[in-house]
Amino acid sequence: MLYCIEARSLLKSYGNFTAVDGIDLRVQSGKIFGFLGPNGAGKTTTMKLLTTLIPPTGGQMNILGIDAIKSPLEVRKKIGVVLQQPSYEPTLSVEKSLEKYGMMWNVEKKIRKERVEELLSAFDLVEIRKKKNDDISIGQRRRVQVAREFMHDMELLFLDEPTVGLDPSARRGLLDYIKVKVKDGLTIFFTTHILEEAEYLCDDIAIINKGKIIAVDTPEDLKNKFGREKTIKIHISEQKNVSALLSEIQDCKIEYNSGIITVHSNKSELVLQNILQILASNHIPVEDLSVVPTSLEEIFLSVVKNSNASNNSSGQ
Amino acid sequence: MHPIIRLVNRNLTISLNMGFVIWQIIFPLIYIFVAGFAYTALIHQVPFGNKTLDYPAFIATGMIGFNIMNSTLISGIIIWNDRRHGMFEQILVGPFTRAQYILSNVYTIGIIGLVSASMITAVGYPLFFKQVEFNILTVPLVIFASITGAILFGSIASIISTRLKSSEGFNVVINTVFLFFAFVSTAFYPAQGAPPILSTAFYFNPLTYLVDVVRAGIFGYFNDLVATEMIVLGVGAVILFLIATKLLSKLEL
Ligand SMILES: Nc1ncnc2c1ncn2[C@@H]1O[C@H](COP(=O)(O)OP(=O)(O)O)[C@@H](O)[C@H]1O
Ligand SMILES: [Mg+2]
Repeated sequence: MLYCIEARSLLKSYGNFTAVDGIDLRVQSGKIFGFLGPNGAGKTTTMKLLTTLIPPTGGQMNILGIDAIKSPLEVRKKIGVVLQQPSYEPTLSVEKSLEKYGMMWNVEKKIRKERVEELLSAFDLVEIRKKKNDDISIGQRRRVQVAREFMHDMELLFLDEPTVGLDPSARRGLLDYIKVKVKDGLTIFFTTHILEEAEYLCDDIAIINKGKIIAVDTPEDLKNKFGREKTIKIHISEQKNVSALLSEIQDCKIEYNSGIITVHSNKSELVLQNILQILASNHIPVEDLSVVPTSLEEIFLSVVKNSNASNNSSGQ
Repeated sequence: MHPIIRLVNRNLTISLNMGFVIWQIIFPLIYIFVAGFAYTALIHQVPFGNKTLDYPAFIATGMIGFNIMNSTLISGIIIWNDRRHGMFEQILVGPFTRAQYILSNVYTIGIIGLVSASMITAVGYPLFFKQVEFNILTVPLVIFASITGAILFGSIASIISTRLKSSEGFNVVINTVFLFFAFVSTAFYPAQGAPPILSTAFYFNPLTYLVDVVRAGIFGYFNDLVATEMIVLGVGAVILFLIATKLLSKLEL
């Protein structure tokens, strides 16, 4: 099976409001698919649709080869889901809640025991294993919630902003644990608003805004498409305004501010050559120079901004 | 293992803690002995059908009904906590259906109710054994009352748990409702001899019907009133169960 998730014209409306606006999605088996978008974009709603928690208003979904609208229970038996909302049994200890969760998924007792131990150490929960879920911090609870989902076997795992509330080391630990599981054949649908995470983890990324998917690609291609632009910073010692000297250069945006020239350009190599030439012929020495690729963060912001802008203009 | 059994297993694990055992079993037993004997000085005998009962026997049998009602609180608490702590959604996004979730709560109540009522019956037995007249015709009355009573009160607890939003609200409402049921009923004192307003109020309370039918079973006394009470219990249980199921299956996620 090539695609784990295939959704067509998936629609979810609440009254007049459309939370998910006829999206198409394809997620390949064995990959980590990042679902990126600002708050309120429709990520959680999409996840609730794909995991059959709520029924769509329209469209089709095929999950793991099963028609998810006709046979939601069959889908749920094969997937794991970590919802954005916290979930825990307040009266149970950390280890007991993992154990019981495995029991709920009908995992054999012996395997359950092994997995509890493995997950307690993988998610750094050994020290708090005897504590009640009611008595641990929110971040620790989130770790228990994510760890718990690995108690059972599954083919596809949905994670809705799983790293929110985790400290940097726990965050990195979780992402690396996910990578290992994917090597073993798991497919991941991963929702986040943090771009570095998506960049670090995901094979493919879809960007959603206002219920619509506005870009789908690999992190690399997204960068190439939207982020060929680089930022060049040149420090010069000369205290005279060089703006006039550089105003002839094409294909870029140049700012000058007290000794620092900042250039944004899609053709950074060419532009850089020109600038250096001009500076050299005017005997202005360069003190420092840096070229940084545009981060996924900036791409994301610009893509979302463009989609908002085109929405607004078409809405008039 | 069947999904419902797994959910029942989980329900029992999260519900059975020391506080609950004290409330559910120890408290009623103490109450039977302390109140039963303390009030005997005030209430010597209670007329019941064609016989008279000792007050301790009366209250011990009343406690069985009270206890069945209390067990059903569990279902409300489970649903309430599951919604509040996200487990309702987590379970429904797992290998379970809503119907299985609802049935698992019904079975959980059944098991807790049956076990605790049996324990109270066993311990209270010495108090009422002289007057017991179990027979093949009356034992089914006790079973009927236990099952319909559990479903009826379980549905009430579930309905409350699905309708309320804040946690203080839930505790206040459920305690008030169940306290009213407990004390405005024939569980602790007979309708005969109570002020007329109160004894009328008794019959607006399903616990009265539950307790009366349990007593009818244990003391082997059956008449038209008991038959009517059984019908009311049965019909009430069915209607409330349908409402509770409807509300649960409509609950927004
Ligand atoms: N049950 C609901 N009723 C009405 N509107 C909803 C409901 N659930 C979500 N929404 C709306 O749908 C939009 C998308 O929400 P959500 O999917 O949670 O966004 P995200 O997860 O990307 O932050 C939001 O504007 C939200 O207010
Ligand atoms: Mg969300």
